[in-house]
Amino acid sequence: MSTENMNTNAQENVSSSENILEVRNLKKYFPIKGGFFGGVTGQVKAVDDVSFSIKRGTTMGLVGESGCGKSTTGRTILRLLEKTEGDIIFDGKDVSTLDKKGLRDLRTKMQIIFQDPYSSLSPRLPIGEIIGEAVREHGLVPDNEYDDYISKIMKECGLQEYHKDRYPHEFSGGQRQRICIARALALKPEFVVCDEPVSALDVSIQAQIINLLKQLQEDRGLTYLFISHDLSVVEHISDTIGVMYLGNLVETGNTEDIFAKPLHPYTQALFSAIPMPDPDIKKDRILLQGDIPSPANPPAGCKFHTRCSKCMEKCKTIVPQPKDMGNGHVVCCHLYDEE
Amino acid sequence: MENENIQNEEMHLDDAARVRVLSPGMMVFKRFIRNKLAIVGIVIIVFMFLFSFVGGLLIPYSQSQVFYTTDSILKDYAGATAIDQYQVYQADGATLPSDIYSKTLIASATGKYVFETRDGSLLGLGNVGDGVYRIFSVEEVNKLLKKNAAYDEAVAADKNFFEDTDGTTYVFQDEGQAFPTVYKATEIGVAAMKSFTPFNKDESLSFEFYRGALVASADGESSFEADGKKYAVDGDVITLDGADVALVSDVNFNAANAGVFISPDYKETAMAAIDAGQDSFTFPDEDGTEVEYRIENKNGQYTFRRFQETRVIDTYAAPSAQHWVGTDANGMDLLARLMYGGRISLLIGFVVIFIEVFIGMIIGGVAGFFGGWVDNLLMRIVDIVYCIPTMPLYLILGSIMDYYQASATTRIYMLCVIMAVIGWVGIARIVRGQILSLREQEFMVAAEATGISTYRRIFKHLIPNVVPQLIVFASMGLGDVILAEATLSFLGLGIKYPAASWGSIINAVNDSYVMSNYVFVWLPAGLFILLTVLAFNFIGDGLRDAFDPKMKR
Repeated sequence: MSTENMNTNAQENVSSSENILEVRNLKKYFPIKGGFFGGVTGQVKAVDDVSFSIKRGTTMGLVGESGCGKSTTGRTILRLLEKTEGDIIFDGKDVSTLDKKGLRDLRTKMQIIFQDPYSSLSPRLPIGEIIGEAVREHGLVPDNEYDDYISKIMKECGLQEYHKDRYPHEFSGGQRQRICIARALALKPEFVVCDEPVSALDVSIQAQIINLLKQLQEDRGLTYLFISHDLSVVEHISDTIGVMYLGNLVETGNTEDIFAKPLHPYTQALFSAIPMPDPDIKKDRILLQGDIPSPANPPAGCKFHTRCSKCMEKCKTIVPQPKDMGNGHVVCCHLYDEE
Repeated sequence: MENENIQNEEMHLDDAARVRVLSPGMMVFKRFIRNKLAIVGIVIIVFMFLFSFVGGLLIPYSQSQVFYTTDSILKDYAGATAIDQYQVYQADGATLPSDIYSKTLIASATGKYVFETRDGSLLGLGNVGDGVYRIFSVEEVNKLLKKNAAYDEAVAADKNFFEDTDGTTYVFQDEGQAFPTVYKATEIGVAAMKSFTPFNKDESLSFEFYRGALVASADGESSFEADGKKYAVDGDVITLDGADVALVSDVNFNAANAGVFISPDYKETAMAAIDAGQDSFTFPDEDGTEVEYRIENKNGQYTFRRFQETRVIDTYAAPSAQHWVGTDANGMDLLARLMYGGRISLLIGFVVIFIEVFIGMIIGGVAGFFGGWVDNLLMRIVDIVYCIPTMPLYLILGSIMDYYQASATTRIYMLCVIMAVIGWVGIARIVRGQILSLREQEFMVAAEATGISTYRRIFKHLIPNVVPQLIVFASMGLGDVILAEATLSFLGLGIKYPAASWGSIINAVNDSYVMSNYVFVWLPAGLFILLTVLAFNFIGDGLRDAFDPKMKR
């Protein structure tokens, strides 16, 4: 993780060659409209000061419970949502300052795979059209190679060529997700946001899709931001992991480090909930008390203090700052303050 | 190698390869044709279209062709009135003042035979007796009446005029003086309450004949001389050498139709029948057939009526080989009117729905896609249009069109426009709602993420997904539009005579007599409306089920 300290130009240049994506102090607030005249009465802080970076060719897993801002982060990076504050540096360029043409070019470099393979395919278009529409729109391949290109992409994603003329309703969930992947990859992107791409599928299909994604990453040198609430999947695919809670990134680090030694109490609670396939293993589950607080009115201090078993007095007032615990393992928790 | 593998895979692994590819449209079509009610609806609509558009071409009649039939009805032939005012016969070359009739009547009643008419001329009446007066133009003279034999004779005969020895006629007026005032008179006419009918209808009678006949009948003489001929008086008939010349009667006959000559024989027969108190008599017509005439007496006015073959408008004719469904109140062929009316009813339905869908799709689409204040503004407009009470508006517009006497075609156009302008709001709401929900679907986000242009997003992704709902709504709405048109036409606000629509055909049933006695006039049109609306609803239901099989039951 690049912290806020890395602000000099020299460092930025170095990092941008190595990091395909850098997110700095990203905030995304949704206004709450109310009152008679529809004025803004409050804000939902879906993403509140999040910073991270992803190295080219690696996968970052973003985990957290529902509603913690994972998907919003992903969509804001793609500029499907406009950020409120912060910087998104993709390939050395600030995504949020791109003009219309720049944004169009960005669309071919950054793609997204959605959670629900049923609603993410237009029911009235044949598969070939769904996959190839944007390819033609951007003129990525010459017209005479177009058909072959689409067939090639479909084959790569485990679809048959004759599927081209079929409609989404004729496919199973797994196949549909392959279509979504094919649609994203047809644009030859460098970076793909996978927004819970397997959570709607059953387990055997999940494995197929995950392996397909890994295979494609190897073949094409893709970079993934893999959003999921399924820790086993994340462990399997990710190189680094970010744990989000209520719009904040509470812990980041290498997958091995985090799984071996989760530092943040929330991460510990989360990991203790991973089911083990062996009934004899006895586990100390950390059960979180209460519900996740509303992001419209988050608690002061450490946002997790309302549910933290190790809550201290200062947690309620002082916002914890990120601390590097070595090997890029960064945690935001007062437990690790050096006083 | 690789190709072979895939081939093999296709053969046995994926049985989907053997399944025929169906586009969503084809699937909808397949599901639709499995729906029996929808097929019934389609059959009915196809029939209605063939009936209206092809039938209208085949039928030999036009929608506003009036049919006639011959019917034997009792018609007035002639009228007779007792003459109660003086008939004036003018002397050759003389002109009589226009108030001569009233003046004569007053003079005969008061006995003041010399009077001044409105135009200032002095006239005198010579009392022949028996209500016959000779009319003179007079001027006062001094003349000694003493020892005038002609004068004495006139006084003895109770006359007020005499012809002097020199051939000059004098009229005298006794006003209580020693001697009456004497006027020199020039004859200009004769007046009596009698009319003459020549037996030969081409013969015109001369003044001299009139005067001679009238004077002779007043004096009770049996003959007179006029124009050098000697006529004999035989009761009411004047003869010349044994041949009937004219009939004199105190009853005036008028033919009901111009150009019909009432012969003296007819008059005689009629008068005889009246005198005998009969209520009918027979008289031969030109061909010699005896025709029965009925006498009707109304306060001394007699009317003679007979049955006559007449060409009449063929109203409310029952279904026959010539008119399969019969004719309506205007004698127009109902089958033709049903066909032409069907054209208008169906056409209005489709035109209105087309305009509604067009406006509704644009307004609803813009509101749904752009959202924000655009959505707010457009939806408030929709709310306002929704609030307009339709029936009063139709009534007002109908009467405005009546006021400007709009032609049938104008009315049709206006009706379409008005109904569409009011009806698009429902479609706008549906489209907006649909687009609002589709806009948030992930495939729209995906389209945005892949950088597809706004134009393609709207027309390739949004619109095709709205079309099913639109088609369903439109096919159901068609029935409503046809009903509304029928209602308006029934109320006399929509399509008007001579143009036909199913609603205006039913409009004929505005009294209970027609409703109970001429069922064939309104029942077919009513059934057609019912069937058409029902059919459109069946089709709409069928389409809805076909588009969305999950919603079924």
